[in-house]
Amino acid sequence: MRLRIWISALLLLTLAGFPGCRKHAEVAKSDPLLAAYDTEADWTDAQRIIPLSYQQAQGKRIFYQQCVWCHADATPAGPSNRSNLTPVPPLLNDGAALNAESDEFMQNIVTLGGSAMGKSPMMPPYGKTLSAEEVHSVIAFARAIAQPQYQPPARAGSQYSAK
Amino acid sequence: MPAEEMGKLTGRTRLIFAISSVVFLGVLAISPFKDFRREWKQYKRSYRRFAQSRPDTKKLLADYRPDIDQIWLPGMNVVDRCTTCHQGITAASLSDQAVPHPFRAHPPIPHNVRDWGCTVCHRGQGPATEVSEAHESTLAWEQPILPTRFIQASCGTCHYADLPQTPQLTRGRQLLAELNCQGCHRLQGIERPVMLGPDLTNIGTKVSREWIYKWLKEPRTILDKDANVTVNGYETEEEPRMPKFRLTETELRALAAYLSVQRTEALAPYKIDARVVAAWSKNPELIPQGELRFRQMFCSTCHSLAVTRAGETKMIGGDIGPELTKVGSKVNPDWLIAWLRDPHGYLPHTRMPRYGWSDEDLYKVTQYITTKLTDSDLLANVPQLGQATEQEIQLGHRLFLEKGCASCHSIEGLNPQKDFGPDLSALGGKNASELEFGAAKIPHNLVSYIQAKLQDPVSVNPAARMPQYNWNQGDLDAITTALLSMKGAPPTSALQNLVVPRKEVAFRPTGAFAEVYERYKCYTCHKFNGYGGDLAPDLTYEGSRANRQWIVDFLKNPQTLRPTLILRMPQFNMSDKDAATLADYMTMVFQHPAANPTTIDSRQFTPAMAALGKQLYEVKYQCQACHTIGGTGGYVGPNLNNAGGWLTPAWVEAWLRNPQALVPDTIEPRRNFTDDEVRALTAYLMTLRQSIKPQSTASAAASHTATHGAGQ
Repeated sequence: MRLRIWISALLLLTLAGFPGCRKHAEVAKSDPLLAAYDTEADWTDAQRIIPLSYQQAQGKRIFYQQCVWCHADATPAGPSNRSNLTPVPPLLNDGAALNAESDEFMQNIVTLGGSAMGKSPMMPPYGKTLSAEEVHSVIAFARAIAQPQYQPPARAGSQYSAK
Repeated sequence: MPAEEMGKLTGRTRLIFAISSVVFLGVLAISPFKDFRREWKQYKRSYRRFAQSRPDTKKLLADYRPDIDQIWLPGMNVVDRCTTCHQGITAASLSDQAVPHPFRAHPPIPHNVRDWGCTVCHRGQGPATEVSEAHESTLAWEQPILPTRFIQASCGTCHYADLPQTPQLTRGRQLLAELNCQGCHRLQGIERPVMLGPDLTNIGTKVSREWIYKWLKEPRTILDKDANVTVNGYETEEEPRMPKFRLTETELRALAAYLSVQRTEALAPYKIDARVVAAWSKNPELIPQGELRFRQMFCSTCHSLAVTRAGETKMIGGDIGPELTKVGSKVNPDWLIAWLRDPHGYLPHTRMPRYGWSDEDLYKVTQYITTKLTDSDLLANVPQLGQATEQEIQLGHRLFLEKGCASCHSIEGLNPQKDFGPDLSALGGKNASELEFGAAKIPHNLVSYIQAKLQDPVSVNPAARMPQYNWNQGDLDAITTALLSMKGAPPTSALQNLVVPRKEVAFRPTGAFAEVYERYKCYTCHKFNGYGGDLAPDLTYEGSRANRQWIVDFLKNPQTLRPTLILRMPQFNMSDKDAATLADYMTMVFQHPAANPTTIDSRQFTPAMAALGKQLYEVKYQCQACHTIGGTGGYVGPNLNNAGGWLTPAWVEAWLRNPQALVPDTIEPRRNFTDDEVRALTAYLMTLRQSIKPQSTASAAASHTATHGAGQ
């Protein structure tokens, strides 16, 4: 009887060892820059490279096509139009000004224009030029490059995040 | 053993039976246990647990099944089990970056995963059910997952036409074409143009043997180890076209000798009118006047010069033509005059327009170039080469062919070397086992191979003939992406049907217009019906946009419409006849159906409407944010000072309703104007008129000379 108990205990121990034999999934090396879809150099510190997701990269593309003329200090075609305007439009990476604005507000001011949101009418509406998805991606890009960094509001269902 | 004991089991045997049956049972139990612990099943279960922690559990688990999920698209050869683990791929609520992989949703792209599968774009082994087999290269499957950095390559596999969403791919294709890679390699979707490098049939009449030696040893544009590009020692953004080849001293001498005797057609020097020379040669204003003409004709739109301002030297100007800072020390002055008068006579396929020159201008400008744009040290380090010997010429001729020079440069009487390098049109689909890695210590996969070969061709093949380039990381990745996209013809007919071809509509006009169009090479900068350059505005619908008289005036004396532009339309010194031919053709042919002039009669615009339009422009819509009128306003859109003289009312109305319908990639946003507002704004813009006046006395003198010159 004792022998049996011993043997079954031994068997159980052997069985218990089996799960250890399964292959452990390799821990993926996470270099955010290598995994990124695209990158953007920090506007205030060219050494710092910000990895961008697919959506943010689409936003970057639209930004450099439509928005860069007034919301950056240098454009692909030379000097920016920003200094010509009163009130001076915020830089897209101006976290101090834009981090406090909600995603809904940002989306509305791009879609409906400045005058609809009580801001400068010099900001034209893009609702008929850009799709809602394109507007989302521009906001996601703004959040990604914001200085100081954007912290998404601590509530469930936030659509865009800085990381 | 006694008979009665036969058939009876001893206690010992029983024990053995009992133990072995337990062992068998145990061994049998391992199988279902192992099955239970399989990787994909673990992901299945952890997804269920994850979904239960989310507020929208019910929706997330609506089509949850505990078995293998598979996307099967027989026509496209797709059997993708990726969604077995990547279960949240279509769940919009899982798009947040906080959601862990592999459950995060796919970013929104135009293709639905159920209709396309995953491996069509991401590569990897679709039917595999283990993480490593699906993602990595195995003995049986050599197409590992494509790193996300290069994912745009997959767009290019079907989309031969450029997409706005894939800037990296477009950049890579552009680099391949601009660097003349198609000279030696066959590339999918990039055709060999008529001319790659300059034709060298008469190079001996243009430059000296010493200069050729220097050029081969040290091409003008150098990419250093840190991927900084310098032209003649000045930093630039330009791409190097002539790369640096690995040549020995003997080879340099021989090639220089061979090329310096290439003078099939003797140069016929043009005699500048003796009266012009007599009047100007002693004039101290000759060189400053020459420089002024050089600037006024906007040579800098295509050619750059090193300009030192406040102690800092910068390259200023375009990159369509070569940089000219030291050209005076390079070319034979007689050749220069002949070239400026008729570039097409020397190089039939050059992009340089044939200007209308007066002898006076020609003298002033060539004198400026040969005295000011020089560098006495240019050939300082070149040994005295003397006369080329027959032996050197023979060797040079052999080397010219051995090194593949005839891939890009033609010489009359030599067969062009097509396909000198390996065919790369299906490189992107190659397995690692098909590639030669040599002694290179790099991971054996396609991406590493392409990048190693691009960075240092000799590293993977010591006998490589490819010249050395030094790329920056961005360009290296862009070219890798473009090469990865070239997978040859799609393997299945279903995929073949998906190919979006590149639209190749060469605009080939005929008749009198074609002659003028070819003479001024309008397509170098302007686009016509999808064909041509993108430096200047698309002229496909210019006839609808601009008034005929304005076109004529502009061609005769180009004004800048966009204040920030550095690169402007050159002054061609165009004759009245040429200007009229171009303007007539454009107003007749380059018409857009939406801008119908017959629907609008400019007389219906009343002053009251114009006043309302002015108010809308200045107050409600604040168009001055981007447009300038009378010196105030923004720099983004064109200057509207002369909108009434420039634009047709039909175009303005159509434009205000929907700018993208007329010019698809224009940045002016489409607004929500009412019909009345559109009419009022048009009425206001039509009142804006400004005659084109020369801006200063210097340019007044210049435009006088221009008209004078064109008349001759």
